[in-house]
Amino acid sequence: MSEAIIQTTKLTKEFIRDEFHVVALKDVNLEIAKGEFVALMGPSGSGKSTLLHLIAAMDRPTGGEIRVLGHALRELNDRQIAHWRNENVGFIFQQFNLIPVLSALENVELPLKLTNLRKSERIEHATTALKLVGLGDRLHHLPRQLSGGQEQRVAMARAIVTDPSLILADEPTGNLDATSALEVLTILGRLNKEFGKTVVMVTHDPHAAQFATKMHHLEKGELTN
Amino acid sequence: MFRYLPLILKNCWRNRRRTVLTIASIGISMCLLGVMVAMFHAFFLSDPTPEQALRLVARNRISFTVSMPLSYRAQIKQVTGVRVVMVSQWFGGVYKDARDPKNQFPRYGIEPDKFFTIFSELHMPEDQKKAFERDRAGCVVGRDLAKTFGFKVGDRLNMTGDIFPGNYEFTIRGIFDSPRNSDEMYFDYEYLEQTMPERRRGNVIMYDILIDNPANSARIATAIDDQFRNSTAQTKTESEQAFVVGFLALLGNVKMFLVAISGAVLFTILLVSANTMAMSVRERAREVGILKTLGFTPASILIMILGEACAISMAGGIIGYLISTLLMQGVAKSPFGGFLPAIHVFDPSVALVCVLAAGIIGVMSSLVPALNASRTTIVEALRSTD
Repeated sequence: MSEAIIQTTKLTKEFIRDEFHVVALKDVNLEIAKGEFVALMGPSGSGKSTLLHLIAAMDRPTGGEIRVLGHALRELNDRQIAHWRNENVGFIFQQFNLIPVLSALENVELPLKLTNLRKSERIEHATTALKLVGLGDRLHHLPRQLSGGQEQRVAMARAIVTDPSLILADEPTGNLDATSALEVLTILGRLNKEFGKTVVMVTHDPHAAQFATKMHHLEKGELTN
Repeated sequence: MFRYLPLILKNCWRNRRRTVLTIASIGISMCLLGVMVAMFHAFFLSDPTPEQALRLVARNRISFTVSMPLSYRAQIKQVTGVRVVMVSQWFGGVYKDARDPKNQFPRYGIEPDKFFTIFSELHMPEDQKKAFERDRAGCVVGRDLAKTFGFKVGDRLNMTGDIFPGNYEFTIRGIFDSPRNSDEMYFDYEYLEQTMPERRRGNVIMYDILIDNPANSARIATAIDDQFRNSTAQTKTESEQAFVVGFLALLGNVKMFLVAISGAVLFTILLVSANTMAMSVRERAREVGILKTLGFTPASILIMILGEACAISMAGGIIGYLISTLLMQGVAKSPFGGFLPAIHVFDPSVALVCVLAAGIIGVMSSLVPALNASRTTIVEALRSTD
């Protein structure tokens, strides 16, 4: 059994929205090993994205414990979490979320601005990442000049440019046509198999989930398997 | 900070129309501020030129519209440290059509043999100086005035007196060059004196005094005023700069006026900028969430937003300052400029005030939205435009 890089114990997330008390996650115990490609499935509002946000330390749990890559996230302050996320986590959104005024290359270079790399090294790394996702010929295109599939591949290049151990994807194919979705899933599969990245993907799509090596189902904030 | 500069600049240019309009509004305000600060600096903070530092002006203590006896000239000359004393009589008068502002240039009756000694920064050929001294009805005009009217040496210049009634016919004997605006005309005071009826003779509005050392100016001014302390026409002797500021004080509290306008300008532009920056940051709340997801810290988000506001404000500040120098150049060259203290068109301290004020406006206008953005959680930021 490989070492667990994500461990949650009785992980709970509750919040108040418009005076309603919402339990997004309840006592979730989850363990994901290094090198796994995990699909988190479940209906809308089941807590999939909330769990992903907690794994990426984009949000704080209201109860329970979470350890990711050996760090108890509760013990880190905002600044430490920002650095930790920059070094260890690549995040892919459903809506791509590229910065519209920056070219593909500049978007991918963005996370590297927080490192000590020189400008030339940053450009070299960003170019390599874009070539890896098949966009070596679109370096200087702005997001609006790219198709949806290409935008998502730029977002993937941005997620992997710092060479993180963990890639988190929140419905990465949700806004894509079937061909583009297949390209994105293929790249995620390659990142997992060839580069040994641990991938956690939230999806509704059973076809997309087939690319994963393991599946977890969430229902009303609780893991059902 | 510099690492983020390309992103800051691209964000500045994201909504071009808004950025251009913001820079323009800040630029106009900073231009106004630049003019006000330059005026304030010229009136209250600037050092006199070496020539000005050697000059004092004596007038009637009541006002410079009230005259003093001509006999004071000899008594002032007796004061230790006084080198030259010269009568300076404001003439007024009407040249051609008085309704045309172009014709409203200053005219003074002076003493030709002392004039270029006291105002050593004015230059004129020696033969013209001699001709001016020899001709009682002669006059000299500044280069700027000569250019305006196309005057040449030897031209006749007719004036109708108002303070000193009568028709005066002058001959231009020389054209002088000045480092400042020279829309002025000077003629022999004696010519004026001879045309006056007996009862009006022997009265002078002002004395220009050349002293031996600027360090003695306070002592000499006190000594002159002490001499006439018990006479019916007491004097007020002061530096040339103080005299000019006193002249301007007739308009009211100039210092307060300048400070109040500058304050109002700054406050108004602060509100405009704050509104613009708040809008700009609100539109990009989601991007703040994305940057945080990539590992940007709250502090780096704060720096980027403040940097963006400062870049826009300072661009406006620099443009505004440059326009203000052009305006000040115009003021210095205008006939009005002749009444003002020396105005330095480019003054580093005024430039610094404008750019610094713009920078402070940038920081203050964006501080609240920047702090809010830096404190917003990623999940809230990403949800904001979902």
